[in-house]
Amino acid sequence: MAEQQQRLQALSEEYQKLEGELQANIQSRQRLESQQQENKAVQKEFASLEDDANIYKLIGPVLLKQEKTEAIMAVDGRLEFIENEIKRVEKQIKDTQDKSEALRMEIIQIQSQQPGQGAQAQVAA
Amino acid sequence: MHGDDIEINLFDLAALSAQQLSQVKKQLDDELEHLTASFQQLRAAQAKFRECLRSIATGVSTKVQDKPILVPLTTSLYVPGTLADNENVIVDVGTGFYVEKSTKDATKFYEAKVDELGNNLKDLEAIIGQKSNNLRVVEDVLRQKVLSSGPGPSAQPA
Repeated sequence: MAEQQQRLQALSEEYQKLEGELQANIQSRQRLESQQQENKAVQKEFASLEDDANIYKLIGPVLLKQEKTEAIMAVDGRLEFIENEIKRVEKQIKDTQDKSEALRMEIIQIQSQQPGQGAQAQVAA
Repeated sequence: MHGDDIEINLFDLAALSAQQLSQVKKQLDDELEHLTASFQQLRAAQAKFRECLRSIATGVSTKVQDKPILVPLTTSLYVPGTLADNENVIVDVGTGFYVEKSTKDATKFYEAKVDELGNNLKDLEAIIGQKSNNLRVVEDVLRQKVLSSGPGPSAQPA
């Protein structure tokens, strides 16, 4: 019985860890989303500009003048990078979710095998 | 998110245990809190753009062409100056890029931003209303559940 209790403890800890990871991943997914939105807005803005518009880039505290084509390329490049990052993070999220689901099942199984002692390691999903 | 399911599963709510219901309630609470915070952020952003519009209208026009203005170097140190160009402004379009625009175009730019945010706010408001409704329904069912079951074994949420 004590052995099972210990196993349950270990599983719960791992589960908690996975949940933490999941939270972190979701946060970076959200951050990427807002970056993507911002870059898309800039892309749209550039598309509506005249070719000879004055575009500046903020580098440190100074504004440096930049060619429109250069600026557009920079934004396109960023969007591509962000898209790849989103794909990567989403895969991570899915993997973590799968893992934690499997773990949860295992925990529930162990818990159901020892009636009358559920109170110690309640898993609130 | 999962909130949309609740409308469809209204009748199934009664089948859930008190513990499951309070989990649903907690999730809805969290979502609502998050959405309300986003709503406030959007509102703040909209106010900021409105402030820019006002600044262009009052601060950059032919009326102030030759009038001296005080330019802040720090928050407590100012130097006198005059506006060299009252037709063009440089607008922050995001992600570190700035574009030189005529005051007319800049006004248009900010108005578009304000409108866009206004639409987002409207959408968000509708969603928040829907979520609050869902939450109320869940709370009702939960209350009935707790009342009818009395101090049963499922009455202690995790």
